[in-house]
Amino acid sequence: MTTKNFPGYFRWLLLLLVLAIFPWFLKDQGYAIRVLILVMLFAAMAQSWNIVGGLANQISLGHAAFFGIGTYTSTILLIRFGISPWLGMLAAMLVAALAGAILSIPTMRLRGHYFALATLAFGEVMRAIANTWTSLTGGPVGISVPFSQPSLSLMQFKSSLPYYYIMLGALVITTVIFILISRSKLGYRLRAVKANPEAAEVIGVNTVRTKVMAAVISAALMGACGTLYAQFNFFFDPDTAFSLTGVSIRVALICIIGGIGTAAGPIIGAFFIIPVEELFNDLLSGQAAGVSQLGYGLILIAIILIEPHGISALLERGKKMWKGKRYV
Amino acid sequence: MQLLQALIDGLLIGGVYAVISIGLTLVFGVVGIINFAQSQFLMVGMFIAFFAWKFLGLDPLFGAVLAFAGVFVLGALIQKYLISRVLKAPEVSQIFLTVGLLIVLENLALIVFGSEFRSVQTAYQTSAWRLGGLMFNVPYVAAFAVSAVTGLLIWWVLKKTWWGWAVRATSQDVMAAQLVGISPARVHQMAFGLGVGLTALGGSIILPYLTVSPTIGDQFGVLMFTVVVLGGLGNILGAVVGGLAVGMIQSISSLVMPIQLQNLALFLIFILVLAVRPEGLLKKAS
Amino acid sequence: MSDVTKEKAGGVKLLEVSHVTRRFGGLTAVNDVSFSVNRGDIIGLIGPNGAGKTTLFNLLVGLTKPNQGQVVLDGVSIGGSKPSRIATAGMTKTFQNVALFAEMTVLDNVLVGGLLRHSVEDARALAEKNLARVGLAAIAGKKAGDLSFPERARVEMARALCTGPKLLLLDEVMAALNETEMDALLELIRSLRDNEGLTFIVVEHHMRAIMNLCNRIIVLCFGQKIAEGTPADIASDPAVIDAYLGSSIDTEVSA
Repeated sequence: MTTKNFPGYFRWLLLLLVLAIFPWFLKDQGYAIRVLILVMLFAAMAQSWNIVGGLANQISLGHAAFFGIGTYTSTILLIRFGISPWLGMLAAMLVAALAGAILSIPTMRLRGHYFALATLAFGEVMRAIANTWTSLTGGPVGISVPFSQPSLSLMQFKSSLPYYYIMLGALVITTVIFILISRSKLGYRLRAVKANPEAAEVIGVNTVRTKVMAAVISAALMGACGTLYAQFNFFFDPDTAFSLTGVSIRVALICIIGGIGTAAGPIIGAFFIIPVEELFNDLLSGQAAGVSQLGYGLILIAIILIEPHGISALLERGKKMWKGKRYV
Repeated sequence: MQLLQALIDGLLIGGVYAVISIGLTLVFGVVGIINFAQSQFLMVGMFIAFFAWKFLGLDPLFGAVLAFAGVFVLGALIQKYLISRVLKAPEVSQIFLTVGLLIVLENLALIVFGSEFRSVQTAYQTSAWRLGGLMFNVPYVAAFAVSAVTGLLIWWVLKKTWWGWAVRATSQDVMAAQLVGISPARVHQMAFGLGVGLTALGGSIILPYLTVSPTIGDQFGVLMFTVVVLGGLGNILGAVVGGLAVGMIQSISSLVMPIQLQNLALFLIFILVLAVRPEGLLKKAS
Repeated sequence: MSDVTKEKAGGVKLLEVSHVTRRFGGLTAVNDVSFSVNRGDIIGLIGPNGAGKTTLFNLLVGLTKPNQGQVVLDGVSIGGSKPSRIATAGMTKTFQNVALFAEMTVLDNVLVGGLLRHSVEDARALAEKNLARVGLAAIAGKKAGDLSFPERARVEMARALCTGPKLLLLDEVMAALNETEMDALLELIRSLRDNEGLTFIVVEHHMRAIMNLCNRIIVLCFGQKIAEGTPADIASDPAVIDAYLGSSIDTEVSA
């Protein structure tokens, strides 16, 4: 991780500028901008996942739990108590963070496949709770977010642009947090724990506290994204909010394919996966649901077989090959 | 009396859970990965048996053999061309390869077969035997019988045949196994094929009392993992005991809880066991 | 030893180990071992392979819990505590099989040690300083996984130093060093003791190093303490000669 990286910062700023200006060229409330909004949101979600998946190298397949908690917490607070979604988002982050801390306990000593399994089950538990606790969540029919008029305090708009900038903001914030953590004590400790937890303990790294911190931060950010989704989509149900394939696997995938552990990975991954999915959906209606999923299942398998470390690594390989050719 | 009935039903179903789960635990024990797509092979097995019934008039209990054979071959090929490529790769890749497989299989089935539910009609589907006030549901009993026979066959193969010995050797020490002339690649293929084949077999024998659809795998996924974690990942006897236990737990809890909460109880047990005793509740390694 | 060190060594009890036992199933790896360490001591821990030296170290830093017995560091009972707590209390060790963070650079590896008591920037400066002290400033940028064995042991020592320990347990850091490197390391250990008041327990098979460096030696055999004393005492102890030195594995031969 280089510290003095003027060209690096410049690249990020340029990207931000492009992303900020680009939507002005798109038709408002149109299809393209909707896809872009989802790209931003999922990139932010993948970046949250990246903190646990990339830095700590714990592959969670249950992050939908935190996302769903986010959607329900802020929406219930809005509908029942009229609380602004902005505040609701903070509450969502708190509850999600709590869930993250709770999940850390049974999964503390687990690694690899076992960890993936346990988190998967956790996500499913949350989904089951949401489906059964009808008095709180409305059960399987889901919740609709009431729309009255465009309002910043209620985080609801007719135009797509405000939503886009909110999602972009979320992406920027999660990415900045990821980078800051990477360079901080927590980042170094996470990498140490990932590499050799025993040695890390012996030189004073409290592995339990380190892992819990990562889990809590990741969960909280994911919860915030849940709120944003609810406000944008105006509707969600347990099977969507806590979806294994639609959320948990998808964000992990986005991060992995883009390059796990890198700050750019989730962004690259989201720009690749979401539009491709939408394209598939578009080209083939009727059995669309199956086909787009099938498509990305196949692409996933293909990418893993070609380059286990994701697109970033693939690009590295490509770069090296190209450099090699130059001198030949 | 109700309790006893629930116990019996649970035991009978548990036998099936056991057979389904042996496959998963076998794959982990020999190949070393958790096959997240395992429940999809159950679905494939069910479909094979269904179509065998529809077009060949084959009773699912016999269709099970076909399902086993077909999925065995499929499994061996998947191991050979896909899974073997990531055995030395980071765990992330291993996890997502089988997750990718899960997505592919389920959606392929959705596309090819559509999402409607189908079921078979057999002569004995709704009949039951009465014995001293207890009902023995015939399809359950038949499924249990097949499971038991299969279980014994597996035990015999693993303990008494050369191939079974090769499998056990490979799962314990790959290098040593190679030194005595065993080909780990071969063993992996056989083991994976056997593993998913068993799950497929389990799928077909439950066909008489369940409906088949491309999403049926989701119902059994976490259940299988619960069984296997309870009994210890890689522990075949554990899968058997775990299967029976889960069957009975499910059955008894259905007396007191609505279905969604039953699953909840199961999940929570699962996470608890993983947290406290990842090796499973049984001590012996197999 | 200088007068300064004689003073220091004479005094404050830093570590008290009482009747510590560790069993693994049927094997008793450490059997009723007791000893104490004063501030400024450099204790040598010797014994044949399998004598329980590494297990004893693991017990002291908390990687394993004693079945019986107490460990008290600077008046605080730490037996059974987590390693990170013990590191905070001031005791850490290096690993015999070397446990570096393979994908990180040498500098980053050492830096992590400093995070216990310093910010990232300060830890980095401290890491550079300690790396220079063990003579490895040149390889700071190399990936830890690419190092040669003697380099790795010294990186570990630098890392351990960064935690600011009172008591440092060194597990065979001198294996595979040549004469010059070993002398430099001995000098470093002595100066750390003299100038910073660090205390050491050192496991080594290099008899020359142990005899020259340590003011006291403890001999372990099959998990039991069979002798304790000055180098002169130990060299002439019949039990020790019988069990260990007589059939010694290596003495002056360098790797």
